[in-house]
Amino acid sequence: MVLIIVTLALKKSTGLQWILSGLTVGSIYALMAMGFSVIFSSTRVINFAQGEFSMLGGMLMYTFSNRAGIPALYSFILSVLIVTLIGAGFERLVIHPLKKPSVITIILITIGLSIFFRAAAKWIWGTDTLAIAPFSGDKPFKLLGATLVPQSLWIFGFTLLTVVLMFIFFNRTILGKGMRAAAENPEAATLVGVSPPATSLVAWTIAAALGASAGIIIAPIKFVSFDVGVMLGLKGFASAILGGLGYAPGAVVGGLSLGVLETIVAGVFPSGYKDAVAFLVLVIVLLLRPQGILGRQEKLE
Amino acid sequence: MKQSVEKSKVKAKRCENKYKNFAIASVLILIVPLWARFIPGNLIHMDIVNVMALAGIYSCAVIGLNLLIGYAGQISLGHAAFFGIGAYSVAILSTRYPGFPAWLGIIIGAIISCAISWIVGKPVLKLKGHYLAMATLGLGEIGFIFFREATGITKGTVGIIAIPPLSIFGIVIDSDFKIFYVVWITVLLLMLFSMNLIKSRFGRALRALHSSEIAAEAAGVNTSKYKTVVFVMSAVFTAVGGGLFAVFQRYVNPESFHFSVSILFITMVVVGGLGNLWGAVIGSIIITFLPSIISALPYWFPFMPESLTNFGNYTLVLYGILLIVFMIFMPKGIAYALEISYSSALRGMKRIRDRISAMRYTKRK
Repeated sequence: MVLIIVTLALKKSTGLQWILSGLTVGSIYALMAMGFSVIFSSTRVINFAQGEFSMLGGMLMYTFSNRAGIPALYSFILSVLIVTLIGAGFERLVIHPLKKPSVITIILITIGLSIFFRAAAKWIWGTDTLAIAPFSGDKPFKLLGATLVPQSLWIFGFTLLTVVLMFIFFNRTILGKGMRAAAENPEAATLVGVSPPATSLVAWTIAAALGASAGIIIAPIKFVSFDVGVMLGLKGFASAILGGLGYAPGAVVGGLSLGVLETIVAGVFPSGYKDAVAFLVLVIVLLLRPQGILGRQEKLE
Repeated sequence: MKQSVEKSKVKAKRCENKYKNFAIASVLILIVPLWARFIPGNLIHMDIVNVMALAGIYSCAVIGLNLLIGYAGQISLGHAAFFGIGAYSVAILSTRYPGFPAWLGIIIGAIISCAISWIVGKPVLKLKGHYLAMATLGLGEIGFIFFREATGITKGTVGIIAIPPLSIFGIVIDSDFKIFYVVWITVLLLMLFSMNLIKSRFGRALRALHSSEIAAEAAGVNTSKYKTVVFVMSAVFTAVGGGLFAVFQRYVNPESFHFSVSILFITMVVVGGLGNLWGAVIGSIIITFLPSIISALPYWFPFMPESLTNFGNYTLVLYGILLIVFMIFMPKGIAYALEISYSSALRGMKRIRDRISAMRYTKRK
């Protein structure tokens, strides 16, 4: 926040430009971070393959809309659906049978999954960087003196919609409330009829859908290739940590602030160091305030 | 008194046994170049000595990482950075200052790694589980970005070429054959060190804090100290591997120290066997040979359809599957399976011998 005000004061129009493009990227990080948070809060698992879900989403979107010529909306739905099925299938086939895995086991298994997806994508789609057409033209427009592409509006809109839907799901539906209960105290939740396996499945499904849609809506701006998942995943994770892991509003705040911070750093310093920001933030937050800027004090396992 | 003498005898025998196994394994490894020479290269389409040397280089890192993950139960996803520090120390020192001995470069790399890992390790190892994994991943990635972007020091993505070869006591190590011995003698020394380490008070402390940090703390183990020391040790082993890597490849670029290399090390640890010293060596040999075997397959099976011969793409897919399958079905790795089959083979042999002597006995009757 302070940073935003200082930048705005120093450089009016460039500052605004940075902030708006930062928010665009930040929205994507927020979606990714929500994916991490959902799985972590209900199962205490960190899914290292989260970034790969978004890569797969982007790749499938490319195949459906550019190769097969299916209209954007239907390809979007189709791609998200397929990735969601993959996520749910993985939970059922690998995570679920493990019962009570150790932390190292689960880290290594999800890393194995991410390597597998990345290599499979390289095999299927090759190493080229693929472009997807923006959803509604690519004519930039002016907003308060800053230039924006229409895709940014799609991204803002979609993120807002997702946040609202997630809020409704976790606060107004029985399943969502049950998942929050299971996150708080698994044993007590089981006693009142929340089934942990079902919670885990739903969490993985939501996370895969979030990852896939994030990967699809960012693709027209940043392109898509077999290795985009790594960076998206890591930055989504850094955002989740920044905001407070397992705390949904934290994921949004973390994502947006990381996006803005990164764009400002890229504007001031050589842009090669841009990626280091996320990791620096990640390490510093983990060391100084592991519960994140918004998270509550919680005993770390 | 008598009892203690008995005990020390038993202990001495066990020690002897340990060194006997070590000696057998070292001889098996060290004679590889002797027989590999007689296999014509165009028959198997790979250079066994060369790949073995690379496997040995990775072994240094993997032995260290195994102490950290397998024994102390602390994960690190950023060890490629220490590998890089070792390699770049040698590369930079010996190309900037001609005549700078490469072995000194390896030692300096180890010292730098030691310092950095100590500074970083102390605070980072307070984190546990997922948090530790992510923090080390972040640190490793910062290292990679530094290697890539600090073009003034590391020459960025271009990399440093023409690194002079290692020379020890006036012998220039310029062939695969010579570097094989340098590498594997280093590995065996590290193995010997680790073997004694895990049998010591230090090793018991590590295993104690692996199973429960609170219990270990209660039993008087200074967990934070032990964790830092084992982290530093694994970083130093990895840096030594990195230094050898630089004089083996004779050029370095940031790609060799990417996050995926940290994952490669971990795959080696897992496939070999978490918490099994020889597992580290076995895992690195298997995983290092995998790409060579896969790329040689089309030559071995020339009748294979064209579409299946592009094997380069399968390697990574295979790593992913191996990691998942081993973690689920064989969490103790290949070394454990070998141990079991070895001991059951011994038992089988003994049973056969017994039966034969029993048959002789009945015949005589």
